Amino acid sequence: MSLLIEAGMVMASSLDLGTTMGQVARLTVPRLADLCVIDLLDEDDSIRDVAVACSDEALARELEQLRATYPLDPHGGHPVAQVIRSGEAVLLPEMSSSLLSSFAQGSKHAEFMIEHGYRSAVVAPLQARERTLGALSVLRLGDGRVYGKDDEALVLELARRAALAIDNARLFSELHRVQIAESFMAEASRVLASSMDYEETLKRVTRLVVPQIADWCAIDLLDGGREIERVATHHVDPARLQLAERLDREYRPTLDEPLGVPEVIRTGEARIFTEIPPEALAEYSRDSEHLALLSAVGANAVIIVPMIGAAGTIGAITLVSSESTHKLSQADLALAERLARRAGTAVENARLYTERSRIAHTLQQALLPESLPQVPGAEIVARYCAAGELNEVGGDFYDVLEQGAERWMLMIGDVCGKGPRAAGVTALARHTLRAAAMSGQMPPQMLGTLHRALRRQPPGADLCTVCLVTMERTSKGARLKIALAGHPPPLLIDPEGRARPIGRPGTLLGVLDSIEFAETDAELQPGETLLLYTDGVVEAGRPNAQLGEEGLIELCRAAPTLGLGELLERIEHAALDRAEESLRDDLALLGLRLSQGEPSRR
Amino acid sequence: MTSEHLRIDVRNAPDRVVLVLHGELDLLGAPLLQKQVESAEVEAKGIVVLDLEELQFIDSAGLRVILAAHERAQDQGHELALTQGPEQVRRLFTIAGVNKHLRIIGSPDELLV
Repeated sequence: MSLLIEAGMVMASSLDLGTTMGQVARLTVPRLADLCVIDLLDEDDSIRDVAVACSDEALARELEQLRATYPLDPHGGHPVAQVIRSGEAVLLPEMSSSLLSSFAQGSKHAEFMIEHGYRSAVVAPLQARERTLGALSVLRLGDGRVYGKDDEALVLELARRAALAIDNARLFSELHRVQIAESFMAEASRVLASSMDYEETLKRVTRLVVPQIADWCAIDLLDGGREIERVATHHVDPARLQLAERLDREYRPTLDEPLGVPEVIRTGEARIFTEIPPEALAEYSRDSEHLALLSAVGANAVIIVPMIGAAGTIGAITLVSSESTHKLSQADLALAERLARRAGTAVENARLYTERSRIAHTLQQALLPESLPQVPGAEIVARYCAAGELNEVGGDFYDVLEQGAERWMLMIGDVCGKGPRAAGVTALARHTLRAAAMSGQMPPQMLGTLHRALRRQPPGADLCTVCLVTMERTSKGARLKIALAGHPPPLLIDPEGRARPIGRPGTLLGVLDSIEFAETDAELQPGETLLLYTDGVVEAGRPNAQLGEEGLIELCRAAPTLGLGELLERIEHAALDRAEESLRDDLALLGLRLSQGEPSRR
Repeated sequence: MTSEHLRIDVRNAPDRVVLVLHGELDLLGAPLLQKQVESAEVEAKGIVVLDLEELQFIDSAGLRVILAAHERAQDQGHELALTQGPEQVRRLFTIAGVNKHLRIIGSPDELLV
């Protein structure tokens, strides 16, 4: 009985199958057996010895070698094969040479058994949950005691307990594998969602795959539909990472190659190679140096999975195991396919995002002047900040026009809404105002022209606010005329930093039938600043921490100590701070300052 | 009904439908007001009142919906009135130059002639 108790303790101590079975086999020697073999049925129906224990260590190793060369035929007459098929224990009290020869796997095997005096044996099935997992064999060699019914009962009980331990270990390793897979996917999903810079993201993915799943991981993307481009490589061994990178540089595959990444990209079908025989590697390689490099980087199993986007395969992920610790298997293939699906989606999203951002940026640039004209004796500075995602085009615009030698016009406006429609209306507004100004219209007429242009737009109530300022140089400074159409009045900041709004309200454009404007006259002295802005500036931080016109006026107190550019930058930062980084509306600032002490005429 | 920042309570009075706006009326809230005003117009009592006293913020997108409702009221011969709301709302109406176009009343239940 003490054998069973000890066996129970051994089996409870570890969930590693190989270790546990080795310990169980050794426990039986010499109390119960001279030789003990534990065989398991593999997934592919082959019989594999997982533990051999013998009082004669050399004999045990010799038997292992023999079994490796002549594996047991699962359909043959060997007692282990019979027991695994029938699920019934076999007691062979005395084995004659002819009996041994009858079930030997060839003459060498027969000679071995006869030479080492195989005499008596019990073979018991390893059964759990009504499945036979393998067999436990105990043997007496030479002229020792032969087995009887009592021994058979004991071996059966030992086998029953060992089978439970095997079953548990397998369940555990399956569970463990699933857990690893899930936590890996969770981590990978987090990495893939972390950034729109997909090349960086894919590099992080390879660093996640290695070493958790594979020893070597590479990600290739199809560039422009024709070229295979390596975007990320990682290897568990830094020295071999360099070799892997060299391999890619010198032997980058082309799309028409029959095997490997090109094949997977062309077909969109995953490939797994669980064995890489030297011949196969030789056939795959282009020349001897290629083969040498491949062998040096090392591979005992390879998985290549396609990354699939909406319009087909966009790349492939290659996973390679080169160390013996974790050899890639079918279970890893499923995980790799999941990873590739996620990565494919992430790359595609990032590319769409980049494309949209590029379009939006181009469009936005078209809405704003490339540069502002130089005004002698004056400084003009603009700042603009679009709200929200990179790919949303805003509705704010500004412009400065020269209207003859001593006359300039500053304009700033805000079209309600965001996105393509607002961008279209913004372009319409800016260019209508430019054209009206160049045809000699005065500000109130210009506003009327824009109003009518907006009213001719398809229904949808396009609404626009505008502030127009004409500046005419005088001997003392500049004469200003301010016309407002639904727009916040600009601030006039005196040399002491006191700011006041100037201009009388006029009707916003594009919505109502009748509109009214009143021009306001003002003087701008040298050292004074005129600040035009859009409501995004004063509404930043709403509703609870709104900057407001009062807050803006307060910020202007610093104007005397700051350059015009610095002042605008400070205001923009203050607004962005209020908005806590999530600006809800665009903001635009346009500043005009007359230089102090300089002659005002050219 | 609510959107992200805007809540609208609907009150049915004998001669009018009063929409009480809470929160922020901006680009995000505008579609909700649009829907509510249109269904209030269908009630066809002749008067729709927008009560803006509880409104914390309005921008041009919000104003656009109100002006569109004002235009429909003129075209279809019903009345749209609004209360003047807090400082920020009043200021925006002033800057937009729309005060004299809109019917602004002291309380949501003020008699309209």
